[in-house]
Amino acid sequence: MQDRQKELLELLDRSGANLYTLLTRLTLREDIAEELMQELFIKLINSRSFDKAGNPEAYAHRAAINLAFDWRRSRKRNPLRLDQIREPASNDSSALGKLVQAEELDEILNAIGQLKKVPREAFVMRYIQQESYDYIAEQLGKTSHHVRALCSRALNHLREILAHNRHRCSGKETQNVKK
Amino acid sequence: MSKNDENKVNHRLKVLSQIEPSSKATNHAIQRVRDTIVNKEKSQQHASSRIWRNILKSPITKCAAAAVLLIAVGYATGRLSAPEPLDVEELKAALESSLKASLEPAIRQDLITQLNEQWQSAFAVSNAQLKEELHQQVRRDLTEFAAQTLAASGTLTNQRLMELIQLIEAARRRERQQVAAALQQIEQEKIQFRNGLLAVAAQTNELLGSKQD
Repeated sequence: MQDRQKELLELLDRSGANLYTLLTRLTLREDIAEELMQELFIKLINSRSFDKAGNPEAYAHRAAINLAFDWRRSRKRNPLRLDQIREPASNDSSALGKLVQAEELDEILNAIGQLKKVPREAFVMRYIQQESYDYIAEQLGKTSHHVRALCSRALNHLREILAHNRHRCSGKETQNVKK
Repeated sequence: MSKNDENKVNHRLKVLSQIEPSSKATNHAIQRVRDTIVNKEKSQQHASSRIWRNILKSPITKCAAAAVLLIAVGYATGRLSAPEPLDVEELKAALESSLKASLEPAIRQDLITQLNEQWQSAFAVSNAQLKEELHQQVRRDLTEFAAQTLAASGTLTNQRLMELIQLIEAARRRERQQVAAALQQIEQEKIQFRNGLLAVAAQTNELLGSKQD
């Protein structure tokens, strides 16, 4: 227990800020990112797979990505109440701009959430964390070429998902207008 | 998907990658996690004590405690109001003797029966085993004896044949010698007969000549 505690504290010192940033980018909410960060480390304390993981940092990053997308899915099932809504994290200064951008980012993050687990992890590391292919390959235990192929396929799939969602939304709007 | 949409996707991804939480929020989150990790054991102990407190506070526990108390009181009353207890040692000795008397013959009989059965089964097994071994031994001996007899009889037959051949050879040699002796005698007699004939012929000539004269 003491060893695990020490290891987790070291991991927190090394990668805590990165993990928090990643969670903020995936949830667009600092308060939720903080909660998820807490949940992540509680899971790591109790996780047996964490002991077996060759690269604890990579394991923690992957767990954080999965945790964030699980939260997004659960949020869809349990819509937020008004008192739970906070200001989204964004770099745009105007209120309307923030709202529009938050909508857009939500859309793309939900689409990323529909990707399969491994491509999603590779995609997030590449396009949201802006990591190099070699680094991602090392983290995922794959070759650099394989990671490139995964990211490329994930991007194409993401575009398809977005196009499909847009088509579905426009269909609904047309139906509403007809009614 | 149009080029415009693709650009939009790339733009959104870029925006996402540029989101940075405030350093204050980051530090707060990290500190909170650190506290959680450090106080994990304490919180676990606290949680277990809280559980016990909740258990003790619950009405079910109270009812259970009351029931246990009532049972204990009832038991104590029963013990106090019960008649004088028996002498345990005496009871134990009586039980022992009666049990011994009733159980000993039965146990002995049972033991004897079991021993008999065991012996019988063991004897039957060893008997069968001995029979089998004896049978095999006899068969081995017979086979060996037959082989030896065959070899000995072969040798004897050869010896007899050799003796017979030698006897036949000796008899033939003797016959040949006798035949040779007989032939020699005949030859001598033939010579004597020729000489006699020649003498007869000469005398006859002489006689015939004298008569003619």
